[in-house]
Amino acid sequence: MPKSLKVGIWTFIGSFLFLMFYGFQSVLVAAIGALLIAIFGVLLALPLPDVVKSGLLTGIIGLVFVIAYAVERPAIALLGAMITGVSAALMASYRQHKTDLRAGAIQGALAGAVGGALTAIALFLVWLYIVPAAGVTNIAYAKLLSETIPLGASLGSDVAIIGWLSALTLLISMLLGALMGMARTVEGVRGNLLSYAILGLVVLLIPILDRQTELQLLNAFIPVFVFILLALGLNIVVGYAGLLDLGYAAFFAIGAYTTGMLSSPLHDTHWNFWLVIWIAAAVAACAGVILGAPTLPLRGDYLAIVTLGFGEIVPILFRNLGGGGPNGSLTLKLFGGQLGTADIAGFTVMDQVNLTGGVAGINPIDPPKLPGIVFGPQNQVPWFYLLVAIMMLTLFLINRLRGSRQGRAWTALREDELAADAMGINTVRTKLLAFAMGATFSGFAGAFYGAYVSAIFPTSFDFSVSIIVLCMVILGGLGNMAGVIVGGLLIMGADRLILPQTSNLIRKVVQHQQNTLDLPTYRDITQWRLLLFGMVLVLMMLVRPEGLLPNARRRAELHPDEDTAEQENATLFDAERDPQLAGH
Amino acid sequence: MSLLLDARGITKRFGGLTAVSAVDFQIERGSIVGLIGPNGAGKTTFFNMITGLYTPTEGQMIFDGEVVNGSKPSDVTKLGIGRTFQNIRLFANLSALENVLIGMHCRLHTTLLGTLLRTPSMRREEAAAKERALELLDYVGLGRQYANVTAKNLPYGDQRRLEVARALATQPKLLLLDEPTAGMNPNETALLTALIRRVRDELGLTVLLIEHDMKVVMGISERVTVLDRGVKIAEGTPHEVQTNPAVVEAYLGTGHAAKGKGGGPLIINDPNAQQASPPSA
Repeated sequence: MPKSLKVGIWTFIGSFLFLMFYGFQSVLVAAIGALLIAIFGVLLALPLPDVVKSGLLTGIIGLVFVIAYAVERPAIALLGAMITGVSAALMASYRQHKTDLRAGAIQGALAGAVGGALTAIALFLVWLYIVPAAGVTNIAYAKLLSETIPLGASLGSDVAIIGWLSALTLLISMLLGALMGMARTVEGVRGNLLSYAILGLVVLLIPILDRQTELQLLNAFIPVFVFILLALGLNIVVGYAGLLDLGYAAFFAIGAYTTGMLSSPLHDTHWNFWLVIWIAAAVAACAGVILGAPTLPLRGDYLAIVTLGFGEIVPILFRNLGGGGPNGSLTLKLFGGQLGTADIAGFTVMDQVNLTGGVAGINPIDPPKLPGIVFGPQNQVPWFYLLVAIMMLTLFLINRLRGSRQGRAWTALREDELAADAMGINTVRTKLLAFAMGATFSGFAGAFYGAYVSAIFPTSFDFSVSIIVLCMVILGGLGNMAGVIVGGLLIMGADRLILPQTSNLIRKVVQHQQNTLDLPTYRDITQWRLLLFGMVLVLMMLVRPEGLLPNARRRAELHPDEDTAEQENATLFDAERDPQLAGH
Repeated sequence: MSLLLDARGITKRFGGLTAVSAVDFQIERGSIVGLIGPNGAGKTTFFNMITGLYTPTEGQMIFDGEVVNGSKPSDVTKLGIGRTFQNIRLFANLSALENVLIGMHCRLHTTLLGTLLRTPSMRREEAAAKERALELLDYVGLGRQYANVTAKNLPYGDQRRLEVARALATQPKLLLLDEPTAGMNPNETALLTALIRRVRDELGLTVLLIEHDMKVVMGISERVTVLDRGVKIAEGTPHEVQTNPAVVEAYLGTGHAAKGKGGGPLIINDPNAQQASPPSA
C-alpha cells in the first residue's frame, strides 16, 4: 500500500473518532470534516516537490489563524500571510538548500505562494460559510471589512475587499518568502543574521499591523514570545550540550521571584526594573550552577529525573517560604517535635518570615520605568518592544556562543563525553556553563514576565511549563534557533491564540445554529490542549523526529544513510572487540 | 635523554581481578615505544591509567616531573598527553575541522566574556586556531579540502588520521596511539606508520603505541614492552623482545619455548611465520 494512502486512512480514522468524540454527533458532519483533514494528510504524504510541501505544511498556520479569527478580525489574514510566508521559505530552504540567490528567491516565493494561497482560500471559506454560520450578516461583515482592512473603505463592496485582502495575503506571503529564501542562500554568520533580520522585521511590524487593523492580539503574543525566550534558553542546555532538563521552569520561577521580591510592596523594596532584570538573570545563572552541580555525574534519563525533581522543588519552596498560616508554611521539625515559631538560640524559625508571599504570590510587581513611555496593562506596545529587544539580545548572544570555543565544547560533550574529556575539555565546567547560560536567559524571561503580568504565584511555574518549553524545542528542531522559534510559535500560538479563539467561534456558531445543526452541547476546546499537544508530539516523533527545522547534524543522526550505517557497523564491531573500553 | 613518563609499580585492580600488576614503565623523551601483549594482557587498562580514565590502585604515574595518577583526563591532556582511541571516537556528526578545533580547546584562552563581546583577541585566536587546524589536516595527509566533511562520512583510514590530527591539536608532548592501524589495509597502514614516524622526527613528539600488527610495532618502535596477564614480561629493543622466550610463550602458549620450537624470531601476521615454525607433526 502506498504511504500516502496509508496516511490518508489513518488520518481519516483518527480525525473521525476525534470529531465524533468532540460532539459532532452527526456522523455525516464528522465524516466530512475527517475527509477534509485526510485529504490534507494525503497531500502531505504524496511525493510532492519540497517547495509545495513546505508551503502546504506552513500554510496550515495561516489557514488555522484565518479560520479562528477572520469572523471577528479579518485582517488576521495579513498576519497569517507574514508568518506563513517566512516559515514556508525557511522550511523549504531547510529541506533543499539553494546556493544561488535567484534560485533561493524563487524557492522562497513559491513556498510562500503555496502557503499564502492556502491562507487566502481559508479567507474565502470563512467569508462564504463560517461568517453566515456564526450569525453575522453580510452588511455587518462588509462594514467590519471596510473598517479594518487597509484601503478597504475606498473599495466598498465586501466581494472587492475580500478579493483585495486575498491578493494582499498572497503577495505578502510571496514577498516575505522570496526575501527569506534569498537570505537563506547566504552562507555563514551573515546569512544567519539576514534570516534573523527578516524575522525581526516581521516581529516589529506586528504592533503596527495590530493597531492599524484593530487585531488586539498583542496581549496574546507577549506570553508566546516569553515562552519562545524560554525555549531558546533551554535549547542551549538540551540542544547544544545534550543535557535533558525537565525542570527548566525552576529558573523561570527564580527569575520572576527575584524580580518580585526586589521590586514590589511585599518587602517594600522598589528597585528599578532595568537593574533588577540583570540581577534576576545573575541569580538564575547561580541557581543553574547550584542545581547543575549535583547532576554532573549523571547522564540521560538519570539527569532528566533529577532535574524533574528540582523543577518540582523550586515552586514548592517559593510557596512554603511564604510565612505561617493557612497560606502554607515551612514547618521545621526536629526529631519529630515541632519547633513552631519559637526563637531558638537567637534564630527566628523560618515560618515566621514571609519571603515570597506563599500561595498568594507576589502582587503587584512594579513595571519598568522609562521617561515618556508608560508600561501599563492598557498599553501593550512598549511591553512588546521591550520583549522583542530582550529576544534580540538573546539571539545575538546565543549566536555568538554557538560557534565559539564554549559552543564547540558543548557540542563535543553532547557527541561523546569521554572523547571530549580526553580532548582536554573540562566536562564539569562545560556542563555547568551550559546550565548557567540556559538559566540566564530564563532569568531574563522570568524578570520580564513578573513585571508584565504583575502577579506571580507558585503555580505559574509548575511542571507543565517545563514540558511545554521542552516540546517547543523538540517540535521545532533541537539545536537550531530558527526551529525553536517556529516550534514556539506553533505550540504557544495554538495554546494562546488559536484554541481560545476557536473555542469562541464554535460557541458562536453553536449558539446561532442551535436549531439547524446537531451540535447539542458546546465544549470548551481549550480543555483539549494537552491532548492535542500530546498527539502532535507523538506524530512528530513518529514522522519527523528531528523536528520541523532540524539542525543538520541532528538530522544526520536520525536519518543515517548507507555510508553511516556501514560506519556504525564497523564501530560496533570494534566495540565488541574491546568490551573494556566499550563499557564507557 | 630524560624520562618523559615514569610509571612506578603501577597496579590496577577491578574488584578481585588484578588487571595490571606492579608494572614499571619508562618512556624516554623523543622515542617511539610499543606496548604489546596478547588479548587481555592489560595494555588498554595501562593506557587508560596514563590518560587519567582510570586511577591506579597502587603506584605512581609521573609525567614530565608531575604525578598524574588521579588527575582528570582533561587535566592530563592539558599537561601534554594526547590520545587516540582503539574504536574510533571522533565526534561523528561534526565536520573534520570542528573535530580538530575541539582538540585545540584546552590551548585556547577566550573566556565567556570574550566570546560574548567578540573581542579582537578572541577573533584573532579563532582565526589562528582555524588556520592551525587546517594545517594539521594537511599535515596528517587528510587535506584541508575535507575540512567541512562530516567525520563519519570519511573513509575508515581517514577517520584514523583525523583522530591523530585531533590528538595533535591538543599540542601533546606524548602521543598515545591505541591500535592506530587496526582494521586498515596494508596501504593505509604504511601511510599511518610513516605519519607516526614523521610526528616524532618533525614535531619532536614522544609516541607510545599499542598495536597488534607486529610488523608495525617491530618496524617503528625503538623499544618494546610486553605485558602478559597484567605483568611486564619483557622489555627491550624489538629484536631482543622477538627472541625472548617468555614473549614467545605468552603469544604461542606454554611449552613452545621450552620445547625449543619457538626459538626463532616472533613474527606474527607475516606469511613467513608459518614456515619459520612449522607444525611439530
